[in-house]
Amino acid sequence: MKKVLSFLILSFFFFYAVSNAVFAGTVEEEFKIEGLISPASPKALKYALENKLEVKVIDLNLKSTRTGWPVLRVQFDSMVVSKENIEKVIGEIEDPAGHKFKVHHGPLLANAPILDEEQKAIAILGDTAEVFPNMKNPITDKVASVSRGEKLFVDNCAKCHGLSGNGYGTVAHGFTTWPRQLWAWNNTGPETDGYLFWFITNGRSDMPPWGLILSEYNRWDLINYIKTIKNPGE
Amino acid sequence: MAKKIRDPRLRITRRIKKDQVFKVKVKFDHPSFTGLGIVDDETNPIFNRAIPVSFIRNMFVYYGDQLVSRFRMSSAIADDPLFTFKLKAVQEAPVKVVFVDNQGEKWEVSKKIKFYT
Repeated sequence: MKKVLSFLILSFFFFYAVSNAVFAGTVEEEFKIEGLISPASPKALKYALENKLEVKVIDLNLKSTRTGWPVLRVQFDSMVVSKENIEKVIGEIEDPAGHKFKVHHGPLLANAPILDEEQKAIAILGDTAEVFPNMKNPITDKVASVSRGEKLFVDNCAKCHGLSGNGYGTVAHGFTTWPRQLWAWNNTGPETDGYLFWFITNGRSDMPPWGLILSEYNRWDLINYIKTIKNPGE
Repeated sequence: MAKKIRDPRLRITRRIKKDQVFKVKVKFDHPSFTGLGIVDDETNPIFNRAIPVSFIRNMFVYYGDQLVSRFRMSSAIADDPLFTFKLKAVQEAPVKVVFVDNQGEKWEVSKKIKFYT
């Protein structure tokens, strides 16, 4: 009985010593990684890390992480490799496109506090862009209005917006920006009336303020016609 | 170390007459980026967070002492953007353009308007 007991005690100490020697220094650590931009990045990171250091990459979680940053989970022997060493090596790795990696520390500063100059500007010009008024189209006879609008369009708008409304009119080549393609307004409802009326009246960029040239009645005719212009390819 | 961002450059036509509408071009080499990467293109959504977001938040245009325009931008702005806008030459005064990015850093450039006679 004594022999069995001493054997059990000895074998317990033996296994304890062996397991301590094998697993004592093995730890798992997580790093938030900056610089994972292209599909080649994760492969480059894993390959370089496993080759340069004695670490095992367990997992690279790209999206479902708490902070949004990709999380790299590695296993290493703390007697051989330190956490600081791993961070240093990660900072030295480059992916094939030349993107550098970095271990992310601390929260992300997405938007710094508003500066005094910005505060003053907001106080002068307001915080939001132009509010387009809600307007009601006063014209009831749409068929006649569309034919009047077509004539006005050909005379005034087609030079820049193109006869088909594609935005590539004959004189538009020297403009700062290409004129709007008008098919987007095809068959739109009354909710776009205020927006279109405001733009035609006030102009924008190279487009003149047609409110100075066309009567209000003519501008509504134009809007009615613009809403009938279709993409010829459809 | 992050690359130093150069000051913006401003171009205005030399011969400006009084009440003329003239074009102002401002080029700013700023590495605006959404901060998103496409690493895993097989699953949906395909974007992951790659680097800290960086973009020009505001651009202010001053003519003389007066603030004449504010351009408000988002992370969708291109890197190294070129801005073109028009002003009416009502006085001989400097045109100043100020940029502020989302990190709160500020850059400015100015040029004096002198009337051509």
